[in-house]
Amino acid sequence: MTRPTSDDSSVLLVHAYLDGELDPANALGITQQMDTVPALAAEAERIKALQQLIRERLPREETPPGLRARIETSVGGLRRERPRPSWRALAASIALTAMVTGTSTWFMAGSQQPIVVADSLVSDHIRALMAPEPVDVVSSDRHTVKPWFNGRIPNSPRVVDLAKENFPLIGGRVDVLGQTPVSTLVYRHAKHLISLTAVPAEGGFKLDRSPRSINGYNVVHWVENGVSYWAISDLEAKELEDFAQLFRTSQNEL
Amino acid sequence: MRLVASGAQDPMSGLDDNARFRSIVMPYIDDAYRLAHWLTGNRTDAEDVVQDASLRAFRAIREFAGGNARAWLLSIVRNTAYSWLRKNRPTTVLTVEDIEAVELANAKPGDPNNETPEAALIAKVDAGQLRAAIAGLPTPFRETLVLRDIEGLDYREIAEATDVPIGTVMSRLARARRRLIATLKEDR
Repeated sequence: MTRPTSDDSSVLLVHAYLDGELDPANALGITQQMDTVPALAAEAERIKALQQLIRERLPREETPPGLRARIETSVGGLRRERPRPSWRALAASIALTAMVTGTSTWFMAGSQQPIVVADSLVSDHIRALMAPEPVDVVSSDRHTVKPWFNGRIPNSPRVVDLAKENFPLIGGRVDVLGQTPVSTLVYRHAKHLISLTAVPAEGGFKLDRSPRSINGYNVVHWVENGVSYWAISDLEAKELEDFAQLFRTSQNEL
Repeated sequence: MRLVASGAQDPMSGLDDNARFRSIVMPYIDDAYRLAHWLTGNRTDAEDVVQDASLRAFRAIREFAGGNARAWLLSIVRNTAYSWLRKNRPTTVLTVEDIEAVELANAKPGDPNNETPEAALIAKVDAGQLRAAIAGLPTPFRETLVLRDIEGLDYREIAEATDVPIGTVMSRLARARRRLIATLKEDR
């Protein structure tokens, strides 16, 4: 006796029967066939054994800790609600901290040598500190800074006013990652400058591992609305995280 | 443009997009991750796929017309994983035609072991062998088997998620299970 091929319709019906996909008439038909054709009965036994094996012995793949928080953060970032002291704000804050602790770097795919985004941005930050001006456009007015980016980079960045929170906007500049121009806003806190770079998350940037501080500069990274944000400063890590949180939740947007 | 304002005007639910996302998508993140893991084969890539799929689900949250939210999310994960595989591992996304050609070439007619009772043998397989055997299935078979025997979707939901007719789901499932059984027997 030859074994029916997997394309044999009665074999497919045995599978469908065991999967509960058959109406009563077809179910009756195939059970009668199984009674008379041993090969079909054997097929049914194999399927049942396999399904039992998968059900009972296959370990569940554990969801990585922090994945939910990261999803909540990235999706929550698409929200434009007024922040309020709710469990959601708290969750977002925890999620941001989790991301920072988890730390990650973005590599630029496509170029010959992968460029570690954080390293490159820290270099840009240091270079800017040593330049006569850390910014290309000097303005504390977000209505001036945002249009300045138009025509220089494809998408002008989200710019918010955090002067009341003691993070006045100093201006902006264009940094270059690999061959891609990206927007960097510069905010000030006391005597410290913060470079905040917005990198389009789509378009060849791949997430990978990396440190949360480089050469003594703290790095806070988050993803919002398809944009990867990098805040770099010699501020204390906690203050830089506060800045990131303020930037994310501020309503004072252009 | 304010997402929340438009969400508040939804006559169907009265929920904003974020609330919809939390009730439709968040309960099934574990399932989404598990499917992404089976399709990409590792944790890091599975995480990337699930995050990307979640954003896609959020953007499409208004298109969810009710029904099985889990199946809806899994189909987004599946499509996201496929885009990812095509981009990052183009050689692993074989067409079914390729696979059938290989199957025909490797067919061994009249295998005398075909009719031996295998259920008892199968029952002795350990978790590692089972996992490796599933991971070794070609993608179209693997995804069909995972959606049915691990995620518990029905044939119609699998047909929608994988964008093939139900007849194709049936034949892929039968082939996937037979390949799996054959591999597990070889391992014994």
